[in-house]
Amino acid sequence: MRDVAIIGAGMIPFGRRDEDSLMDMLAYASLKALDDAGLGDKSVDAVYVGNMGGGIIQHQTAIASSLVDRLSLLPAAAETIENGPASGGSAVKNGLLAVASGYYDYVLVVGGEKMREVTGWRATDFVATMTHPGAEYPYGITLPGMAGMFTRLYMEKYGVTREHLVTVTLKNQEMGALNPYAHVEMVLSREGIFDSPHSIVNNPPMADPLHLYDACPVSDGAAAIVLCPLDMLKAEKKSLDASKPLVVIAGFGQATDTQTLQEREDPTDLKAVTLAAQKAFEMAKLKPGDIHVAELHDAFTILEIAESEHVGFFKKGEGGKAAMAGKTRLGGQIPINVSGGLKARGHPVGATGVAQVVDIVFQLRHELPKTRQVKNAMNGLTVNFGGFGNNVLAFVLRRVQQ
Amino acid sequence: MNKEIAITAYKCKKCGKIHYPFHDRCLACRGRDFETFKPEGNAKLLTFTQIFNLPWGFDERFLILGVAEFENHVRVMGQIKADSIAGLKVGMKMKPSWETIRVKYGENVYGVKFEPIG
Repeated sequence: MRDVAIIGAGMIPFGRRDEDSLMDMLAYASLKALDDAGLGDKSVDAVYVGNMGGGIIQHQTAIASSLVDRLSLLPAAAETIENGPASGGSAVKNGLLAVASGYYDYVLVVGGEKMREVTGWRATDFVATMTHPGAEYPYGITLPGMAGMFTRLYMEKYGVTREHLVTVTLKNQEMGALNPYAHVEMVLSREGIFDSPHSIVNNPPMADPLHLYDACPVSDGAAAIVLCPLDMLKAEKKSLDASKPLVVIAGFGQATDTQTLQEREDPTDLKAVTLAAQKAFEMAKLKPGDIHVAELHDAFTILEIAESEHVGFFKKGEGGKAAMAGKTRLGGQIPINVSGGLKARGHPVGATGVAQVVDIVFQLRHELPKTRQVKNAMNGLTVNFGGFGNNVLAFVLRRVQQ
Repeated sequence: MNKEIAITAYKCKKCGKIHYPFHDRCLACRGRDFETFKPEGNAKLLTFTQIFNLPWGFDERFLILGVAEFENHVRVMGQIKADSIAGLKVGMKMKPSWETIRVKYGENVYGVKFEPIG
């Protein structure tokens, strides 16, 4: 297997982008990554597009074929990868394996989603189509509903409190307000969403015991990366931007779990997260303690806490307390979701797994402003969580010492 | 309403593991032969939530949903018949029924509803 470098990374601001079509967003993010890679007019061998809902929301299929045509990347190989909210992570994985195997040299991976085109009703229904078609979906269950049921169990078993969840909200909103790509650039106050008697109006229950600001927004957006073999990059350095620090995908892991929460022996145990992270750490020959910055899939605040425990940053039951103690803030033991996470950067489902990787690339290149840069970050972790934890991808990224 | 709970559960003939919904191979031993049976008796509430952002197709202001385990250990998701979640507690006894859970294209869709009984 060849070592795979990320030579280009780019994303467009997430949010409500009424003026852009899904294809516009995929094209803009792709061009940013291709330009960042310094590929100029050169083509790539293959394109992998992460997208969950084009077929349902835009009534458009074969999206990757359309994108290579629009970007004049013909005759590059092209596929659309659908894996629920982990579609972006799966697209990255397919690109990684294609380059690592030696089959392709230059690969573009892009993830994108346009969700605000439809009403909240329709968007909620679209995301709920990933639940079990007989045992769950007909009842009206939604992903926030699954998260609510999971939160109740996690609270009972591990003593997570609403105050722990609010701490994650405040941290991620604070960081999102500093991120020009974030959907929700708004700092919230603890008083406004938790302490004051009016907080129930500002932050009403959404999927009890979760409240409105425990959930990520429904977003439009796209993000992209360009991959190539590390050795080839070294040989062809003259054609690429030699001043950019090199970042490689040092580790990758993926695991699945039962589709329904009720069939898990212990529904609070996110086995797929643990296994995906373990595999990624093993391949990278690193431990959780070696990671300097992480982007975890906080579609709901409880997930940041639970994932921070399942990947091994904290013991089970300690994640909420760690967040309260500031250990997951910038400057803390392990800064998590310095981008604002899904919570503030937004969650255009197919884009998220790629956006997490882009954010870690920015961190490892040390090119962010001081207010968001993790000092001397060398190793980063991403976790992209599909379904309700039934398909999870983890990537370990490493800055290469030059 | 005394309609039968029209759910089929599956017990692995090799290791005895209970499944719902259906799997082609047992989640524990990969056995392929199952004995079918129906959920029986009342159920114990395992977890629940009240959701306010409903998917397309629901006209209600909110839904209360939960997962409960029947006396013969089948775990099922269902809608909970309650005006609010104030009186609900994990572990409480629920009486199941088979009722309309939504209307789709003018047709009733049936499923499990649970009513708290203590």
